[in-house]
Amino acid sequence: MQWHSIRTKVVGALLLCLVVGMAGILVLMRYCFEHNARVLATESVTGAQKLFGILESREISKMTTAGDILLTNAQFRDALAAKDRDRLLAIAQPLMPELKQQGITNWIFHTVEPEQTVLLRVHNPGVSGDHLNRFMTKEVARTHAVVSGSELARAGFALRTIRPVYDAKGAVAGYVEFGEELGSFARTMKEQTGNDYALLLNKKFVDRKNWADTSAALHRRDNWDDNAAYVLNDKTTASDDIMQFQGDLESIPAEGEVLERFQRDDSVLVRGLFPIHDAAGNAVGAIFVVRDITDFYVSVRQTQLVLMAVTVVVLALGAIVVVVLLNRLVFQRLRDIIQVATRVVGGAYHTAIQVSGNDEVSQFEQLFEQFRHVFVDVLSQVPQHHERELQER
Amino acid sequence: MGQLNDLKVKIEEKIKADNLDAADIKGKLGLRSGKLFAFITPTTPDDPAAIAKLKEAAKEILHMSL
Repeated sequence: MQWHSIRTKVVGALLLCLVVGMAGILVLMRYCFEHNARVLATESVTGAQKLFGILESREISKMTTAGDILLTNAQFRDALAAKDRDRLLAIAQPLMPELKQQGITNWIFHTVEPEQTVLLRVHNPGVSGDHLNRFMTKEVARTHAVVSGSELARAGFALRTIRPVYDAKGAVAGYVEFGEELGSFARTMKEQTGNDYALLLNKKFVDRKNWADTSAALHRRDNWDDNAAYVLNDKTTASDDIMQFQGDLESIPAEGEVLERFQRDDSVLVRGLFPIHDAAGNAVGAIFVVRDITDFYVSVRQTQLVLMAVTVVVLALGAIVVVVLLNRLVFQRLRDIIQVATRVVGGAYHTAIQVSGNDEVSQFEQLFEQFRHVFVDVLSQVPQHHERELQER
Repeated sequence: MGQLNDLKVKIEEKIKADNLDAADIKGKLGLRSGKLFAFITPTTPDDPAAIAKLKEAAKEILHMSL
């Protein structure tokens, strides 16, 4: 290979363009993937947060309506006012399966303050008489109005509504509370979006003994020691490793946070989480969101391959066209000029150059042809040569 | 005097014997040695530098030792 040749330099430059083009495509596609993966992750977190809010509102509305209907039944009111636990149980228990079907898992009757103890847990009649020192029970006693929100309790983290029940004279006879485990939210959200969710609870707000008891009652593994800062309350995937979070739950911004991308086997996943607050406004945990973007990743990879293949083909064809054009328009004509010049020096003075076209090389051909005429004219003026030419004739 | 012309004659004989393109070969030799063949005659002075250059050109182009 002749390194000094223009052809080599042009082909080299085209190859360099090819390499730079390929590198550019790789960088661009990488950026495109990273950017879009981040957008998808952000969208998953914000979407999940909105969906969680909608579900929360819908369930609060459902439990409020259940309370409204209940209060139209004077039997409940009278039994609660009389603190007649057996009568309440007899009236409420037949309704519990239907409420469970609607997702309501907790149904509690509280006595009125100052004792404000649990008169009856319809979902768990064996446990009663305890005093619930919770924000919501205090708040309903203070305001005598409906209080709604999420709250951690013995049975776990649940969305609750608690409202006063008035007796026939209009005095507060007690309180009725409905609750729904937040774990069911994760499953509903998965059904609607296809993404996976997990509920993480800050250990600061969870009682260790209650957690162990609840785990035993629900026949689930006691995972208290899995993480120092939080416990995994519920999740929609069998895998624990994709739900890992090493940060501080309380430092998650209100709009949520997107975590690093994660690859497991052949799947590419984006992750994020958003905080959840209890009725008192404490950031008690977070909902972890995992979205599988494998299809998107594969699609980007395919686009990348197609783009690279197209670039290689286009640049290779371009290189061939450029080399052929250079050969025909420049190199071949330069070779012709060199050959004519050589022959003229060798004595074939009348070997003319064929001037073709009017491009840059044509101008040189024309100039050389004019030079040849001058050269031949000069030679004819040299006596020695003139005589020889005459002899040869 | 006449050495350059002798070389020229030998080269022309070689061109004829090998049936080569005379104008092309003479042109190449002329360009390489800096001496126009048409100007070499029996009376051309014996310039040692010109003789050496022509011999060198002939060796390179015609593979001919003169």
